[in-house]
Amino acid sequence: MKALHRRKLLTATAVLAVFGLAATAIPAQAAEVGVSSTEIKLGMTLPMTGTASLGYNKIPGAAKAYFDYLNANGGINGRKVTLVVKDDRYVPTEAVAKTNELILKDKVMALLAPLGTANNKAVAASVNPARRGVPVLFVNTGFSGFADTKKYPTTYTVLPSYIMEAKIMGQYIKENFAGKKIGLLYQDDDFGTDALAGFKTAGVNFAVKVPYASGSQSAAAAAGWITKFKAAEADVVILFGVSSATSAMLGVAAQLKYAPQWMLGSVGGDATTIKLTGVPAGVLYNAIGFSPVPATTDMKDEYVKLFSDIYAKAVPGSAFDLNVLLGMNTAFMTAQALKAAGANPTRKSLMAAIDSKGATFANSALVPAAYSKTSHVGLTGYWVGKYLPTGDLSPIGGTYVTYTTDSGSGPVVKSTYVRPAMPAKGLPN
Amino acid sequence: MRKDHNSSHLIPFIAGGVVLYFLSGIVDELRVYQGASIAVYVVAISSIILLTGYSGQVSLGNGALMAIGAYAAAVSHVSWHLPIVACFFVAVLAAALGGALLGAAAARLSGPYLAGTTLALAIGLPSLANQFSILGGEQGLLFDVGFPPLSFGEEFTQYKWFFWIAALATLIMMWLLQNILRSRYGRTWRAGRGNEVAAQLAGINTGRSKILAFTLSAGLAGLAGAMLSMTIGTVSPSAFPLALSFSLLTGAVLSGVTTLSGVMIGAVTLVAIPEVADVVAHKLGSSEGVTTNLPGLMVSALLILTVLFVPNGPVEQHRARTAKKLATKNK
Repeated sequence: MKALHRRKLLTATAVLAVFGLAATAIPAQAAEVGVSSTEIKLGMTLPMTGTASLGYNKIPGAAKAYFDYLNANGGINGRKVTLVVKDDRYVPTEAVAKTNELILKDKVMALLAPLGTANNKAVAASVNPARRGVPVLFVNTGFSGFADTKKYPTTYTVLPSYIMEAKIMGQYIKENFAGKKIGLLYQDDDFGTDALAGFKTAGVNFAVKVPYASGSQSAAAAAGWITKFKAAEADVVILFGVSSATSAMLGVAAQLKYAPQWMLGSVGGDATTIKLTGVPAGVLYNAIGFSPVPATTDMKDEYVKLFSDIYAKAVPGSAFDLNVLLGMNTAFMTAQALKAAGANPTRKSLMAAIDSKGATFANSALVPAAYSKTSHVGLTGYWVGKYLPTGDLSPIGGTYVTYTTDSGSGPVVKSTYVRPAMPAKGLPN
Repeated sequence: MRKDHNSSHLIPFIAGGVVLYFLSGIVDELRVYQGASIAVYVVAISSIILLTGYSGQVSLGNGALMAIGAYAAAVSHVSWHLPIVACFFVAVLAAALGGALLGAAAARLSGPYLAGTTLALAIGLPSLANQFSILGGEQGLLFDVGFPPLSFGEEFTQYKWFFWIAALATLIMMWLLQNILRSRYGRTWRAGRGNEVAAQLAGINTGRSKILAFTLSAGLAGLAGAMLSMTIGTVSPSAFPLALSFSLLTGAVLSGVTTLSGVMIGAVTLVAIPEVADVVAHKLGSSEGVTTNLPGLMVSALLILTVLFVPNGPVEQHRARTAKKLATKNK
């Protein structure tokens, strides 16, 4: 009798596995993949679990919050925008598998904000969205290489590139820390290569450069980094790494009472995320930071006000931080691209819309975007701020002073960009 | 009883190949891609079964050996511009060499010590790639086997190409392996696993036999690594996390670690679980927490159920039961 049970269980398991595969039927084909008369389907891969997920796992919730708000207000020409999210744990193999699922099984119209340089490269090499004509909107990485329209013809960047950020940091250092010893912590991959290129263009000479391998960041590693910065007597230490690296560094520095002038790159500079790891807010005080979008605490800003209201209703109890603001901003730009893509948007018309109108899409950023027929470059600069005792980044002197530049040898200039007013109710017009 | 002679058993493999050939023509592209993934897992899990099930050594470091194979293939492609077939050979040889070195150490270790050593390897080895610029650091190397030949037609997708390469390599490997396991070597491994002292008394050099098993197993892992990096297009340290080694071990246990014939079960399960989990999570209302954690939960549950109810694997269990029935009938 018992044996019979076991066999049943075994058979059931096998049957479950087989039917599970079969049950995932293919949805009916519409005029364009991912676009039906009632729905536009987009897909996102990013780390939702694992060490690299810190902070970034709030992005899908933020984007969905905006899309739900949009859908409640009529969607895009009556179509609801839905977002399928897949966890890639920041592993390229997973990113490829999940992107395949998004394109081949979920049949999304476009990929939205896939995160990570290495993952995006693996996806480009294997899944090859370009060859399939699938738009990759607003990749969530500042690697300058993704703006290469020959190599990645369907990919659009949105964040200012790491080169731009390093160049603007370099400019700030020249103006404010001339003669000081500068130290740099950077990630030993494309992320860091971009940074080094930017600092080189800006003419920054480092007293010490400390690379770390992605995934190797930990409190123990941070203690080692600090030893190197101390030995080189760095006055200013730039943390040009991911959130987990920045947090590990600041946490250990607080314990060791090591307090140089910190300068935080935007990738790992979100105060909420850093504080979540137990780093006392006070450590951040007076650190210098950079952001392309307004301060997340700036409730006088119409976008911050609206987005934080929408987010508070959609995800109660979750702090409105830089990841959330950027996630909602990307969703807002996507909505405008979809709207501009015509009554029956296709993958082609969507990309054409960004090419022709992307530079004028309303969004919260205080710097201009550089989309054009020949450029897939998104935002092009930053404002410089200091962290308050509460740990929040705030513009120096209370007003936003923005700088723009490019990923090449162009100069860093103070921007005269005036952000257009937000469309009514924050809906695409 | 099973026939245990040295026939080549070529026909079933050719038949299998023909079936796969036609199957790849009718299923959609996602299934073809998953087919390629299954092929990767079949080879990787076989490597563990050969080592653990047949020669009685425990390795938690298969991910590291896969990484050796993958990097060897990518370097020979990127730096030396070897043709793809040669890249796969280099992958097998490089990993086998690594396995031989490791095996020499392993022959002196056993049980938890061997597990510990190989575990350390799985953790440490992939990140070593960061130290050599030829290996491309954290972002790794591109491993692009190229587009399918134009003569296959416009409709012939990249993934079908990957699948064909992977399936062919797998079929050849499995055929070779099947024959090796039925040869003298297979028998000496099993003798050593059953009772080392008795095997030595019977004149078997168990040390050498173990090293040979390790070498072969590593070669298989190397092939799996090269196939894996082909399907994802790149090789990077993060493609070979510790979790990979563990999930392969899980696949081996699900397959039944003592016999090669169940290997498909483990491979299909590893590929199917995320998808089944997706469907279930969808039915449950798909909160983010459920979606991300369900696959792990299901794999763990299956693992526990397997260990509890069919410790030798479903195939071995079935075989044992049939044999018992036959025995009672014949009485």
